[in-house]
Order: sequence, then structure tokens, then C-alpha cells
Amino acid sequence: MQYALIIYENEAESYPDGEQGEAWRAVLAAHEAFAGDLHERGLLRGGSGLRHSDTATTVRVTGAGRTVHDGPFAETREQLGGFYLIEAADLDEAIAWAKKLPVAANASIEIRPCLDMPQPGQD
Amino acid sequence: MTPLEATFRAAGGRVVSALAARFRDLDLAEEVFADACLKAARDWVDGPPADPAAWLYAVARRAALDRLRRRRTAAAHRPDEPAPTPTPEDHAMSLDEPIPDERLRLIFVCCHPAVATEARAALTLRAVCGLTTAEIAAAFLVPEATLAQRLVRARRKIAAAGVPFEVPASDRWPERMDAVLSTLEIAYAEAHADAALAGPHADFAREMLALSALLARLAPTDAEAQALAATIHLAEARRPARLDDAGAMVPLAAQDAREWDAALLRQGEAFLAASAAMARSGSPGPRALQAAIHAAHASRRQAGETPWRDILRLYDALLTLRDDPVIRTNRAVALSEVEGPATALLQLDAAAARGWLPFHVARAELLARLGRMTEAAAEYEAALALGPSRAEALFLERRRAASVAA
Repeated sequence: MQYALIIYENEAESYPDGEQGEAWRAVLAAHEAFAGDLHERGLLRGGSGLRHSDTATTVRVTGAGRTVHDGPFAETREQLGGFYLIEAADLDEAIAWAKKLPVAANASIEIRPCLDMPQPGQD
Repeated sequence: MTPLEATFRAAGGRVVSALAARFRDLDLAEEVFADACLKAARDWVDGPPADPAAWLYAVARRAALDRLRRRRTAAAHRPDEPAPTPTPEDHAMSLDEPIPDERLRLIFVCCHPAVATEARAALTLRAVCGLTTAEIAAAFLVPEATLAQRLVRARRKIAAAGVPFEVPASDRWPERMDAVLSTLEIAYAEAHADAALAGPHADFAREMLALSALLARLAPTDAEAQALAATIHLAEARRPARLDDAGAMVPLAAQDAREWDAALLRQGEAFLAASAAMARSGSPGPRALQAAIHAAHASRRQAGETPWRDILRLYDALLTLRDDPVIRTNRAVALSEVEGPATALLQLDAAAARGWLPFHVARAELLARLGRMTEAAAEYEAALALGPSRAEALFLERRRAASVAA
């Protein structure tokens, strides 16, 4: 099965000096190792780290149409920081990877099974 | 329950577990088991076959294979294909094929930490013990529709999120077993809180005894699983002594030990011994300590008095593992028997379990023993305001009246 491991961190607490800080560099190095581990086992299907949430732009869809706004979709205590797409036999394996996923401080890692959808260009 | 329903209930746990493990689909397992029961109700005109479980398993398994075949056909966009002819596998299925015991696996699935906490016990009782949704709803005091909704959501989550139908490997065992045991503990607390055991809780407590014994048998090397079975058996053994003739609750220390159920006490002690034998690698876990406390209370039956100093030591050990207001309250009660009510009251107030019925009862009793009757009466009043069961209310009203009169 494919799972998304979705990372939520409090940016201000985890990376007080933003993308120039030591914490940021350290977590990126840890992610490289984590992704390398997944890749070696043939379990990495995709994913990416995301830039700071103050770089986010949101398109809001309502009955009135689609409008563009500055900022992430919701102002929350923790922000979406990135995600992995991994292959795992079952939820327990996905949980085991989520428990090893590098973070800088308090964080939540949401595990979501992926929809089984045909990939464009692959038949 | 009719004899037929009793047969279905007795067979249900093993049959549904085996089906769920084979097809990795709890919904399908319950659906086809229900189908098989319907067919049995029609076919067993001369009474059930020699092995009803094997009959139900074979019929349900065939129904499951049929459904899966139909689903595959539907998925392939060929809606009007005629029913398939039986495969060699269908013919090979004989009625005397042994049913694999997959109940431990199913318990781990139902109590997986990814399943909503409030659905775990209900799911286990439904799938493993075969209780009806109505029975479980009555035991947990929730509307049947609410419970049914919870079960549907939990089954859907299990299927969609890929909860494994496996007994966890040794590195995941402690965490997963802990989730199972907490689920059963919480469910049993519901049954135990009702001293009168009137209505729906009567069967429920029996089911919890059976389920805890089953788990202990299926996980013979897990010290905490043995310990939980010990606790439930020792606590249930006191059931016959928990009410007086007027229907009022009798607190543990005032119970007539001769009324305790000797057979349940023996079983509980055997589970405790098994737990101690398994825990040789380390110090006892929280459930082993709790079981030991129950066993210490039970020892009054033989020794004539309660070993309060031992009980206090056990609570001290328990506090190092689980520091919560409930344990602090119970420890304060033990302390009052060793060092007197004044010291105990100080400790109790530090426990700060306000709003929890046993805290107010314990506090009222200590105040009464100290002769502070007005405060005791107010504390009984506070306990009564928390909506105790009828048996507890009768006891508390009596105690309040006594403290007002004194």
C-alpha cells in the first residue's frame, strides 16, 4: 500500500532562525538520511519538503468563484512542512517509519493511505 | 436467548475471526457469518449438526468467496455474468475442516491504536464475543444508532488505512498489547461500576470474564495479560457480597468474605501466579501490581484480616509506574488503615480527584472517622450529586443520614 506521511511542525518553535538557521540545516541533513534509507529499500515513491508557510498562496473556491489569497489555507499552531510518499505493507510499517521521521521539536506526523489511482502515462 | 441464538453466539467468535483473518476484511466476515446464520435457521429443522461452528464456517466461507467473485466481476465492468460454477476449491471444502483460531489476531486488529478509542471495546465484543450491537449499546449506555455508527466507522478505518491482520512482532508487541489491555480495562470498569449488576451489565461482566480468560490463554507468555485476567476474576469474585438485603452497596472492607465466589478467586489466583512466573525477567508491571492488590484483599477470606501494610507497599510501587489521582485516592484509603485517617486525609486532598465519585466517598469516610460530621455530610452530599448508581446512592444516603444524626 502507498501512504503519505504528512509533517506538521510549529515553524516558529522548531526553526526560530528560519531557513538560515542551524535547526533548519540540521533537519534537512536528517531528512536526506531518512529519504536515503527509504530509497535504498525501494520504498520511496515521492514527496518533498516545503518552504516556510509565509511563502504560501491559497486559491479559495467558493460559489462566487476562485480567489487568490496570501498565506496558507488556515492559520494553525502547526504548519504543513512537507510530506513523504512511501510504500508499506500495512499501517504498522507506515507507523514505524513515521516514528523514525526526523523533526526539530514537537510535531505531528499524519499517516494517510493513498487513493489507488491510475498514473498518467502508465498503462 | 433461544438455543439457536446461543449456538450462533458460541460459534461466532471463532468463525468470524477465522473469516476475518482469511479474507482480511472484518465487514465481509460479519456479513457472511450473518448469512450463514440465516441459512442455518432455515436448514437446521432437526436441530443443529454435530459441529455447528464447522458448518457455519464452511457455509460462510463459501458465501465470502462468492461475494468476492461478484465484486471482481463488477469491478471488471461485466455486470451480467451468470453465477460462476463451483471451483475445485469449493468442492474441497469439507465440513470437518478444522477452524483456525484467529481470535488473538482479531483482538489485536480491533484494539489497534489507530482505531478510535471509544470503538475498540465495542468492536472486540461484537467480533470476538459475538455480542449484538443492542447489547453493547446497553452496556455502554449509548444509543444503539450511535454505537452502530461507531462500529461502521471503525471497520471502514481498519480496511482503508491498512491495519494489519497480524499478531504483532515482538518489537511492537508491548505497545500493541498495552492498547488491548487498556481497552479491556476500560470496558470492565463499566461493568464493575454497577454493583447491583441489574439489567444489561449482568451478561456484560460475564463476557468480560470470558474475554480476559481467552486473552490470557491466547497470549500465555504475556505477564500483563495474565494479570488483567487475574484482576477481573478476583474483582468479579466479590460480586455476591457487594449488595446487602436492601440493595445498598457494601464497601469492600465491610463485605462478608464468606460470600465471595471461591471458584473465581481460585481462577484469579492462578492467573496471578502465571503472571508472576512470566515476569521473571523484570519487575512486575502495573496490571500485575493491581492484581496483587486484589489478591491481598482476597486473602482476608483465609487470614481473617486484610494485610493493609502489604497493600500500601503495592500502591507505592504502582505509583512509581502510574501516577494518577485514582491510584492516589486508593492509596490514601490503604494509608488510613495503617497510619490513621488524619495522615490519610492530607494525602487524599493532595490527590485532587474532585468530581470522581470514589474520591468524595473516601473523603467523606475519613472525615466521619475523624468526627468531623458536618463536613462528612457535605462530602456525602457531593458524592450523591455526581449521580451514583442506585446501590451506591442507597449506601451514601444511609451514611449521610448517620453523619447528620451524630
